[in-house]
Amino acid sequence: MHILLIEDDINAARYVIKGLRESGHVVDHASDGEMGLDMTLSSSFDVIVIDRMLPKIDGLSLIIKLREENIRTPILILSALGEVDEKVKGLKAGADDYLAKPFSFSELLARIEVLHRRTNPETEETFLKVGNLSMNLLSREVHRSNIKIDLQPREFRLLEFLMRRSNQVVTRTMLLEGVWEYHFDPQTNVIDVHISRLRSKIDKPFNENQMLFTERGAGYALRSND
Amino acid sequence: MINLFRLTSFRLIFIYTILLVISVFLIAFYLHLSTSRDLKNRVDEDTIKESKMLISVYQRGGVNRLARSIAQLSQIPNANLYALRNNKNDIIAGNFKDKESLWNLKRLDDGWVSFSSIRNQESINQSLPPKEKFFRGKEFILQGSYNLIIGRDVSNEVYLWKRFLTNIISATFFVLILGLFGGYVLSRNILNRISAINRTSIEIMDGDLSQRLPVGLIDDELNQLSANLNLMLDRLNKLMIGMKDVSDNIAHDLRTPLNKIRTNLEVTLMSNPTSENYKNSIQEVIQDIDIVINTFNSLLAISRVESGSLSLDKEKIDINKMLENVIDLWEPLAEEREIILINQCDQDVQLEGNRNLLSQAISNLIDNAIKYGPNGNKINVGAKLEKDNVILWISDNGPGIPDSDKERVLERFTRLDISRNTQGTGLGLSLVNSSIKFHKGSISLLDSNPNGLIVKLELPKIN
Repeated sequence: MHILLIEDDINAARYVIKGLRESGHVVDHASDGEMGLDMTLSSSFDVIVIDRMLPKIDGLSLIIKLREENIRTPILILSALGEVDEKVKGLKAGADDYLAKPFSFSELLARIEVLHRRTNPETEETFLKVGNLSMNLLSREVHRSNIKIDLQPREFRLLEFLMRRSNQVVTRTMLLEGVWEYHFDPQTNVIDVHISRLRSKIDKPFNENQMLFTERGAGYALRSND
Repeated sequence: MINLFRLTSFRLIFIYTILLVISVFLIAFYLHLSTSRDLKNRVDEDTIKESKMLISVYQRGGVNRLARSIAQLSQIPNANLYALRNNKNDIIAGNFKDKESLWNLKRLDDGWVSFSSIRNQESINQSLPPKEKFFRGKEFILQGSYNLIIGRDVSNEVYLWKRFLTNIISATFFVLILGLFGGYVLSRNILNRISAINRTSIEIMDGDLSQRLPVGLIDDELNQLSANLNLMLDRLNKLMIGMKDVSDNIAHDLRTPLNKIRTNLEVTLMSNPTSENYKNSIQEVIQDIDIVINTFNSLLAISRVESGSLSLDKEKIDINKMLENVIDLWEPLAEEREIILINQCDQDVQLEGNRNLLSQAISNLIDNAIKYGPNGNKINVGAKLEKDNVILWISDNGPGIPDSDKERVLERFTRLDISRNTQGTGLGLSLVNSSIKFHKGSISLLDSNPNGLIVKLELPKIN
């Protein structure tokens, strides 16, 4: 994946670049808004990561400019102003996702990868398939190996979220935001219980390879079993 | 000796004393002036009447007739004063004998004269020195160089005026001295009280926040001020202790995971690790660091909500739906421990507020009820409308909170077990508290029957 990081804090940038390169991505770096704009206009990227506070052109204006230039590259905005309102502002300006500093690298990586894969709009799909696990969004039925699995509404939503991001790491925060629409982290890890419940329904009864994995220190991933 | 004029009280008393003296003086002077003028006018009228009569006698009968009339008039008790002089200034008729005193009589307007004499009197008591007498009269120059003075003894009025003047001056002095002395005594009293306050203030400034200003029995403004300052000090002291506790607790709460991390890394390094060992301990370290970051994030979130620096969106929230959602999040965890979560919310309870903050508050309260309660606990969550307020409650059958701790648990880092080793940051309830404050509501912790805790939140429907 070709990623552009626009970040003026050299130390933070160095650590993000190192992490992303070690995860197998190609990373370009711009240290201010103007440079970032030039680079986006001259070459194409898969994902752009933009810091909210930037010298010369600030993050929000830069995103608005890029969208005006008809550049559709997914954008993730980073900010120390980690509040919900700031997030809304960023998303309204045209960003696709928002991450508050301080963030863990696994969170950033997971979000970048999810952004990259999100090519087809979610609304169009009526049928999801990961390995031998399938989900019909109209009849709201889930099957694995042609055996019907009964899920409660929240389990269905959770599985849908994971299936749309299959083979990628999804963090606890992403699940809280995406499934429950909460922008806070409960002190107790409630998500773990939800995941193990789901696992007991989609993995345990089947004498096949495990699909729903817990990635220690990072999050969860639904992987196709074939 | 204290500089009295530096004291507000003394200055005020001094100024008022001076003003009082001046006004008393002016009033007395005016009263005297108006009464004495009345008296003088009456006397003058008598004199004028008599002089008209005597002059007509003279015009008809000449000097001799006049002298006779004067002699007759002089016989009347309490008679006026008469002096008829010839051109040699000798007194040829009349009851006034002291001709020298007439040499330096003072001539006023319209023929009026005033003069004084020591000798013209029948001394009743020879041993007493003769007293000066004052007279006022009218002078007439008659044909043939005769000079007639008809007058009246005004010594009483003059002496009265003199006595009045000396009296009022001495009274003034008396009032002045009394005022200054009173001012001094009162000021010293106030000064003593103020220096007591000053002394205590200095002790407090030197760091002894336990000191309190002296408060007397009388409910006057100085005591009220001291009492209010004391209340302020109580509050400050509480805040200071709170701050100290918070920083002590931060230190403790951060040291524990950091120590754990350090030990973990040290042990890994010593044990000739394989890459699998490395991976494991790094994952553990990340988890421990996440605890530290979580603590910081919660602290920041609380102070952001409390300082109001956050411009949070408010929207209409359907409480039933919100509770349903939060319960949905916690239900699997509760079921693992056979805890039943029940939603008792009325339909159509709506509230204007921040959904995220309120959800987090309810979530924290459910978290606590699950965490600290026994297995098989029953947790009721509900809401109802009461006038313009929404009452929200979370009740459990857990161990509850002793009365003595109820205020404390809302503060940051309060954990009721002394060892501080149970899970949690001790920030959950503080965040609930600040979020309720943000919604201008109140929180109360009640005892449930027979055991357990009811957390009752009262929130205004519209902010």
